[in-house]
Amino acid sequence: MRKGTRLRLVLRDLGSGFAFASMAVSGQLPVWALALYGVALVAALAGRRPFSNRVKLTALLLLAVALTLGTNVLAGSLNLVVAACTFAGLISAQRLLSTPDAATDGQVHLSGLLMVAGGAALSGELVYGLFLIVFGVLASSALALGVVEAAVPDGEPVPVRAVTGPLATGVGFAVLGAVAFFILFPRLNWNMIGPSAAPGLGVATAGFSDTVRLGGAGTIKDNPRIVLRATLSPDPEREALDAYWVGRTYDVFDGQEWSNARTANGDAEFMKTLRPGRENLVHQRVELMPAYGARTLVALETPSRLGNAVANTQLGPRRTRIVELGGGEVRFRDKGISYSYEAYSLPPDASGDDLRELPPEEQDALLTLPEGLDIRVAQTAARVLNGERDPLVAAQKLSAWLQREYSYTLELSGDVPDPVADFLFQRKQGHCEHFATALTLMLRTQGMRARLATGFFGGERVTGGYVVRAGDAHAWTHVLVPGRGFVTVDATPPAHRASQSARLLEQLINFYEVLESQWRDVILDYNFRDQLTVIRSLTQPRDVPRPDAPPSRAPPPRAWGAALLAAVAAYAAWRLLAQSLSRERPLAATRFVDAVEALLASARITRDEGETLEALDARLASQRHPLSPALAPITRRYLEARFGGRPLQQGEAARLLADLKRAVLTESRRVANQGTRPPQARAS
Amino acid sequence: MKPRLPPWWARVRSRLRPPRTLKVTRIGRTYLVVTFGVGLGALNTGNNLLYLLLGLLLSMVVVSGVLSERCLRYLSVRRVGADAAFAQEPFAFRWAISRRQGHAFALTLSEADAPLTGAGGVGYLPAGVQHVVRADLTAPQRGPLLLTGVRVTTTWPLGLFAKTRVFPLDTTLLIYPRRTYACQDPGAPEQGPLGDAGNPRRNDGNGDLVGLRELAPGEDARRIHWRKSASAGKLLRVEREHEERRTFVLTVAAGLDAEALERRCEEVAALAHRLIEEGHEVGLDTPEERLRPAAGTAQERRLLRALAWLGHERPRGDEEAA
Repeated sequence: MRKGTRLRLVLRDLGSGFAFASMAVSGQLPVWALALYGVALVAALAGRRPFSNRVKLTALLLLAVALTLGTNVLAGSLNLVVAACTFAGLISAQRLLSTPDAATDGQVHLSGLLMVAGGAALSGELVYGLFLIVFGVLASSALALGVVEAAVPDGEPVPVRAVTGPLATGVGFAVLGAVAFFILFPRLNWNMIGPSAAPGLGVATAGFSDTVRLGGAGTIKDNPRIVLRATLSPDPEREALDAYWVGRTYDVFDGQEWSNARTANGDAEFMKTLRPGRENLVHQRVELMPAYGARTLVALETPSRLGNAVANTQLGPRRTRIVELGGGEVRFRDKGISYSYEAYSLPPDASGDDLRELPPEEQDALLTLPEGLDIRVAQTAARVLNGERDPLVAAQKLSAWLQREYSYTLELSGDVPDPVADFLFQRKQGHCEHFATALTLMLRTQGMRARLATGFFGGERVTGGYVVRAGDAHAWTHVLVPGRGFVTVDATPPAHRASQSARLLEQLINFYEVLESQWRDVILDYNFRDQLTVIRSLTQPRDVPRPDAPPSRAPPPRAWGAALLAAVAAYAAWRLLAQSLSRERPLAATRFVDAVEALLASARITRDEGETLEALDARLASQRHPLSPALAPITRRYLEARFGGRPLQQGEAARLLADLKRAVLTESRRVANQGTRPPQARAS
Repeated sequence: MKPRLPPWWARVRSRLRPPRTLKVTRIGRTYLVVTFGVGLGALNTGNNLLYLLLGLLLSMVVVSGVLSERCLRYLSVRRVGADAAFAQEPFAFRWAISRRQGHAFALTLSEADAPLTGAGGVGYLPAGVQHVVRADLTAPQRGPLLLTGVRVTTTWPLGLFAKTRVFPLDTTLLIYPRRTYACQDPGAPEQGPLGDAGNPRRNDGNGDLVGLRELAPGEDARRIHWRKSASAGKLLRVEREHEERRTFVLTVAAGLDAEALERRCEEVAALAHRLIEEGHEVGLDTPEERLRPAAGTAQERRLLRALAWLGHERPRGDEEAA
């Protein structure tokens, strides 16, 4: 392997790897495909190509995989696009491990192209754009080195350094050209299919489920991904927001997990009114990011009105309805990559709900306790409250006690039979759900109504708005206070309510999220309207025409341009069609010799078994047959056409056959005139 | 076998040829099909990332065209030629190529509009450096070959398209007859008083054994055949035939058809080579000219040139490249 070849192969393999990664970031490829491709890539980069001598065997394996994937697609267990992308990755892996010749190189690059196309269909993330550019650079470099290597005589080194500079310039211009093309190419959209996309940095992290189960791991507090952006009106203009963003509430606890007594299933609407509003509502324009991964609307406590929801899908933004479920949860009806909506919330002192407004089952649920609740819970609550009967004061008293006596931790040992008793009397450590659950149950043991609320706490000011991270996910308690409704009481120590991820990591994620937001705005959501705006800004004349100027009746220049383009396209199509029609079809020589044989048969000349036309011609010549002079040039021309690389020209076969036919007719007339039978060629 | 173009037609073609020609390579065809597919996918789904990919693919095509065009500018080419070109046999051919400014990559050089197969390549050509490109070309048949131009092709940068520029350079390359075996005997050598060569019976040579005779006084003892002398009981010396250098005049008869003439020229060239290698003098008698017998490689070259021109019209000046 000469100098430069090894580098070219490494670039080629890495390019293929990035093409595969552009699909893999979607998170939709099967794990076994990821593993197989990873192994193949590592082996190829190490210079191991074990499939070099097993081309047919590995091709059979690929065929088997294709059948399996096809079966899964037909069975409905696998998306067609995902299956196609998976298969392209496996083809690429097989090619990576094969002998690196010119054909293999081309196939690796081709499969790379198919994979980035598949990645575009599966993923809409910023990471995809990064991988696309890296693939373009690596694949172009490998191709260019291959082109130069092919032109360099054997034994001479490939001028790698000389290639680098001009190629980098070219690739840079190509990227600029891609941007220009992207901006200007008409967005004509047939809108037939389009698989859904997934968040870029792995799966979504802060989804809401129908239940809250105690005892699970609490690593979410370390996750700095932004799940929510909001602008508030009036703007509090504070750097850090100590606000509760509620998603839903729970009122029934069975000892292990929280759920709701009533499952509301209202109609889908564009606007939802949850509670009576007042004049001093806080308006929010909220955007739920792809990392959110759920369809539950989140709003500042206490939401009064939600609506004007838009789901951002791969096919563009689409207005969507919302529906109210149990626990005050409001969900988007349609699935999207991200969502935006508006919300109005009451000031955070109380909800304004009255006990009488609640359905009976919810009223009862606010006081229910799980069967087998440790008796020490009620005893402890009574001891701490010491006769206090006001719900809010009692809740604050219990909350202060919990914050003082218990510590916060995310290191949990897993499921235990009685997580509340375990938290209160054994470990005396827990996270927000433990604190909130303990406070809620302790209040209920003393006859005070309370429920669990989940959502986010906090808000970090960024560019005039606020962002909330996955690590800000939180749980707290709603205490029902007569005359005020549900009031928030948070038993979790204040220092552990907001995200606890590292500052540097948060800054990096911030940077990425800003880029991703720009990517979504500028690239993914770019549409025909934006194009018109750009074009209008480019083509709008600076001078307004005079009102008294006569209107021009000549077609605009673009009409001439379009007509010229159409003419060129029509001419090119006509040329292609003409060339295709005039091309001599394969096996013309064989058809020609069949026609010759038929003509000879009419003159009672037949070929012996296994006798070629050349041998027949020689036999007739040796017998001095009258048709031999006519057959000799035909035989020679047939041999040239069949084996000599001189195909029959257009009409030549017909002309030769006409000559032979004339000779056959002449011979027939001659024999008829003489009254004798023509010589039989078979009697040799 | 590609038929040879008439000279006037080759000149007309060279004048009518566009300054650049473009041909899509095999990988380029695949690339265009994929680009078309991505375009359809973009239209079908409205996926902006597919539009972005489509833009990248199309702009790569444009950049490829621009870079390849830059490679073919500011070039100058001249032929260095071939030492000896025999029909249907690869022969070394050279071009000298240089660039006034900038640099070029992946250039392939070949002869335009000529039935010569083969090409030479240069991977990197910096400015101001004259690079001699060597190629093994093959000519299909004997005779003068009109070379009208040098074709310089590049597939830089991505190998998707082969862009070609032809540099008009007129010259004639003389193709000698195909090197083959001579099945016929060269015939009788020339007779007559041609010095020592006229007496083949002169002995004391180093040729075949003629006989034995008794050693005369004063003769060289190294000629004694010791075994025979021991059996005869007297000193016998060996007589060997003297080395001869004969003179042959090879002829090409008039009135041969094209195929027979080709075959005869090949035979005469093979015979001439063999006889000259053996040290004989060889002359040539053709309907067009007569070469006096002579020996040596220069004479062989003269014979080959005469055979190459046989049946073709000679130009006034001798302007062939080889």
